[in-house]
Amino acid sequence: MIKQITLAFLGSIFPVILFNIDRKKIIWAGFCGAIGWATYISVYNLQDSMGMASFVGAFTVGIYSEFMARKLKTPAIQFSMPGMFPLVPGIIAYKTINYIVQQNYSAAYSNGIQVIIAAGAIGFGIMLSTTTFRFISKLTKQKS
Amino acid sequence: MESKQVLEIALSAGKILMSNGAETYRVEETIERICNSYNLECECIATTKGVFVSVIDMNNEKVTSLKKIRETRIDLYRIELINSFSRSIKNNPVCYEEAEKILKDIDSTPYFSFPIRLIAASMTSFIYSLFFKGTIYEAVVSAVISIGIYFMLEKVSKLGSFQFFQFFFSGFIIGCASLIAESLLPFVNKGNVITGSIMILIPGVALANGIKDIIYGQFTAGMAKFGEAMLIITAVGAGIGTALTLGIGIKL
Repeated sequence: MIKQITLAFLGSIFPVILFNIDRKKIIWAGFCGAIGWATYISVYNLQDSMGMASFVGAFTVGIYSEFMARKLKTPAIQFSMPGMFPLVPGIIAYKTINYIVQQNYSAAYSNGIQVIIAAGAIGFGIMLSTTTFRFISKLTKQKS
Repeated sequence: MESKQVLEIALSAGKILMSNGAETYRVEETIERICNSYNLECECIATTKGVFVSVIDMNNEKVTSLKKIRETRIDLYRIELINSFSRSIKNNPVCYEEAEKILKDIDSTPYFSFPIRLIAASMTSFIYSLFFKGTIYEAVVSAVISIGIYFMLEKVSKLGSFQFFQFFFSGFIIGCASLIAESLLPFVNKGNVITGSIMILIPGVALANGIKDIIYGQFTAGMAKFGEAMLIITAVGAGIGTALTLGIGIKL
């Protein structure tokens, strides 16, 4: 598990270099990926459901990145984008293509549905965390 | 500062943001913030293709201007710089020459050098190949493949925009290279090589920005970005599928 989280940390650091991030913030992007993946693993161990695990992982990534964005005063995308990378369902997507090539359509169908579920869960997790943060910040603005 | 000059500054800032892959709502917010800090009323529309701004100047005349976005690339650092520039201008409105100079400086900030980006691309594939439970040999193979892919993407994109063909072709190369690797090195599984290598082609920023734009109610730009990301994913998948189908037929 620690090996996986370390890999997730490194796996969030290297992609952001391709997108030209500020050099001082690279390490925070790495922590984003590590936290997201740690949440994914712990939820997956509790409940054997990939969609739920992806959703909670992406939600954590979203909350972390919005929080860090306000703390470091940068756009949240700098942290949420690398944090999403480890959650991408790459292996099932590959399996889907492979089954389509082998003309095993029922297996391709069940894998394809899983890809859509995981991708939708990631999108929805990030969406929900952003909306929550906006809602809270609007409420606090109205009070003051 | 005259209203035309404010317009020019706001438009340039908006253009830099948009062509570096910022969210649409951020572009509109930034332009409005810059105009408001010089006490000008402004209306602004940003799409993925261009930025339109119109302000009302001192003589109650409407001045409208637009800038077209020709090429887009993704650069998070420039977005951050413009963001902090627009926030600083709110507290301390600088004169036209100074603002222009700051924007020029932002436009010429350096990227990571090409070798570093190549290494980063190869390390991304290396890490993700291991991450998806591949062996170290598979990781090395996919790192080598992704160096080639990134090199090709960078060189081809200089010739012009063949975006979907480019991604289809990258997927095709990944598929072919992994098939060849599997037949030459019997201990390599092509699945892990492919899953590692495709990670550098994932349009993460377009997807995340598309979702965020949709939340903020910018449906035109949001759906455009989301559709672009989906097309890229489909193109890569089709490329890999073509290569694997050919591999079944040819039997290396």
